[in-house]
Amino acid sequence: MMMGLLTVYGMFTDPIEQKTRIELDENAVVKLIDRDGNEHDQFPRPAIAAYHIMLDAYTKDVTQVHEYEAEDIESYDSDTRTLHRAGNWFYNLFNSKIMLKEYETISFLDSEGLLLTPDSLSDIAVYKVESVVQVDVDSYDETYPSSDIDRYDSKKRTLITVRQVNRFFNKSNLVLIAKDASFFAIIAVGMTGVIILAGIDLSVGSIYGLSAIIGAMVLSSMPEHTSWIIAVPIAVLVCMAVGTLCGLANGAMSVGLGVHPFVITLGMMAVLRGLTVVIPQEFFDTQSISGFPTSFTTGFFKAEFYGVYPVPVIIMILTAIVGWFVLSKTVFGRRVFAIGGNETAAKYTGIPVGKVKVLVYTITGALCGLSACAYLGYYGAAETNAGNAYELQVIAATVIGGASLMGGRGTVIGAVLGAIIIQLINNTLIIFEVDTSYNQIVMGAAIIVAVVIDQTKQRIQAKRA
Amino acid sequence: MRMTHPLLTAGALLSMSALTLVGCSGSSESEKAADTNDHGDHAHDEQDEVVYKIGVIAKSNSNPVFLAAKNGAFAAGKRLSEELEGATVEILWQTPSMEDAQVQAQYVEQLVASGVDGIAISCTDANLLTSALKAAVDKGVIVVTFDSDAPDSGRMAYYGVDDKEAGKEVMRQLAKVMGNEGKVAVLTGNPAATNLQARVEGVLEQASEYEGIETPMVYSFMPETATEAAAKMQQVQTANPDITGWALVGGWPLYTDNALDGIYENAKIVSMDPLELPLEYAMKGQVQVLVGQPYYGWGEKSVELIVNKLHFDQSPPSELVIAEFDIVTTETAEEFAKNWKLWLGED
Repeated sequence: MMMGLLTVYGMFTDPIEQKTRIELDENAVVKLIDRDGNEHDQFPRPAIAAYHIMLDAYTKDVTQVHEYEAEDIESYDSDTRTLHRAGNWFYNLFNSKIMLKEYETISFLDSEGLLLTPDSLSDIAVYKVESVVQVDVDSYDETYPSSDIDRYDSKKRTLITVRQVNRFFNKSNLVLIAKDASFFAIIAVGMTGVIILAGIDLSVGSIYGLSAIIGAMVLSSMPEHTSWIIAVPIAVLVCMAVGTLCGLANGAMSVGLGVHPFVITLGMMAVLRGLTVVIPQEFFDTQSISGFPTSFTTGFFKAEFYGVYPVPVIIMILTAIVGWFVLSKTVFGRRVFAIGGNETAAKYTGIPVGKVKVLVYTITGALCGLSACAYLGYYGAAETNAGNAYELQVIAATVIGGASLMGGRGTVIGAVLGAIIIQLINNTLIIFEVDTSYNQIVMGAAIIVAVVIDQTKQRIQAKRA
Repeated sequence: MRMTHPLLTAGALLSMSALTLVGCSGSSESEKAADTNDHGDHAHDEQDEVVYKIGVIAKSNSNPVFLAAKNGAFAAGKRLSEELEGATVEILWQTPSMEDAQVQAQYVEQLVASGVDGIAISCTDANLLTSALKAAVDKGVIVVTFDSDAPDSGRMAYYGVDDKEAGKEVMRQLAKVMGNEGKVAVLTGNPAATNLQARVEGVLEQASEYEGIETPMVYSFMPETATEAAAKMQQVQTANPDITGWALVGGWPLYTDNALDGIYENAKIVSMDPLELPLEYAMKGQVQVLVGQPYYGWGEKSVELIVNKLHFDQSPPSELVIAEFDIVTTETAEEFAKNWKLWLGED
């Protein structure tokens, strides 16, 4: 069915132009050629028939520079020409020394970027390591027809090449849809358990936001060059710990106080959102926190594979597999269904209803933390508004995926597909160049009609039975 | 599987919705700015015709200043399509219903994947949007920011006012109507918002130049709603009846009726943002001066900058294209209000 839908999109979309950049050498000469073959330096883009790029072979010196902030460096040993990194032993477990190579030179700069002399090294703000390498540049003489080139940017000396791809069926777009869905699909895996219990969790967006902010505070305190082996596990642990605590509070208060989870999680939604706003203001005097180790962002969660960024999608798939296994293949999963189907009966069969409920809310909180960690890594920052109104999207994904708000029914795979369908709606509107204001109308209508039809079918099947 | 029933239904609804939207997309708000004729063929089908697709992302669809920016962008697209030989400009309006930097980042990525040539964006959070905008620039998309900048994103230019200068201008106007003496209070919203911090800094710096004006007290409020702002002003004025001047670095309290009762009788008021409701306060004489930003120009000028780069390979002389302020007084408020009819497309 899904493939059928995708085919429909593919059929109804014109190809689009996908662009890539070619940065030209500083000595390359670029001539724009009109339809009569005359060369020009510049004129309006529609008049360009071809781009002629010429370069004579030469050898150039390329200077490579690495700068290390003083706070990241404990000391420099001039005898062994080694920089010793600062920070605690845990961060530096795998990468504590930088040994300079023979062809590298080191200089010391103060906070204003001025070179320091050997007698004033106490003011070091930056350790600057430089090396010069010689690079042979080959000659080049090529003419590109304007159909192969989108445009030439003379300021950046860059040619933008272009190729036609299907607007929908291209890997960038497909991974993008799955990636955008992944942040709330991961939470929807937990929400499926909550809804099967006939419960609800309105605080998932706020848990996501708070986990992201706390995780961001920890990450921004790490040295920039912290290894991903350190940064990723710490961030995942911190975010998931915050989420777990919030989820545990939801479950414990709901079960312990005997108050409907709608009320408890509604209250927690406000409390946690308040904390999400107050904490960065108090500690950082800002609305957002950035400055994470690059090993955590582009080195892991936003690592590029063949032109796309699939890590959040992989996390979503792994979470869905684990969630599916837990709900359908374990005793705990069967207990969740039993409680959602008939809580009183479940109690009489000896199922620890309270414990199961608390655990389900706790797992949902932990998954909010996991999703928040993926968000931090992908976007490289956290803002106080993170996850605002996520609860609606998560519940919508779960319900579209077949979960019944009356409890006792729902699947993890359905919830993940529900999240992807919601993103498909967004993507479709963009592909067809429709104002995104229509998005909410379409999504709302899809949810209502899908659930009404589903429930009608259920009633008919019940009557027949 | 039982779960597939609602999925099938939702999927079918989605495909129906998509097909319906294909049919009606020509009449939607993101219609091509250049499609002023009734011909079914688009310009890009014709050989030698270049189509510039520009995505415009504002902070939220519910804020009237961005509606003005939207109309400015569409008007620029339409005008440039008529003026440029062999080129058509399409505007794609992609703006979240409420402020959400993550959704903006997703729109940036989706617009790039759909093949746009340029993006004009007002950044809800520069930190969060920088990597998405960098990736867009790396793929050859021309990025211009307006209203709120992301300076480390590699964008070609920023168009808007200088926030510190805006604060200074508010204080300059206030000092003028106060006769350069009195006690001033400053009203600001979220104290952590960097643009508001810069405006407050501007107010304080300018105030220090007047001997007869005491160092102003700064009052902030959260959340940034009109009622919270109005309540804060009332409380402060009641507790400090000797306040004779208010510098509002945002127009929040003026989006309610009668927010200034008990205040305007005792103090002069100068505010940012001459929107429709604040203009009514100016017309009644309760607010003496309103300092405006180029709301319509945010869209219009940003599109112009992008098209200049795409069509003529021309960049602005400076990355920062700083706009002038509109100064609206009680005398000019009625005339200025007519602009909103144009900016909001009511004419």
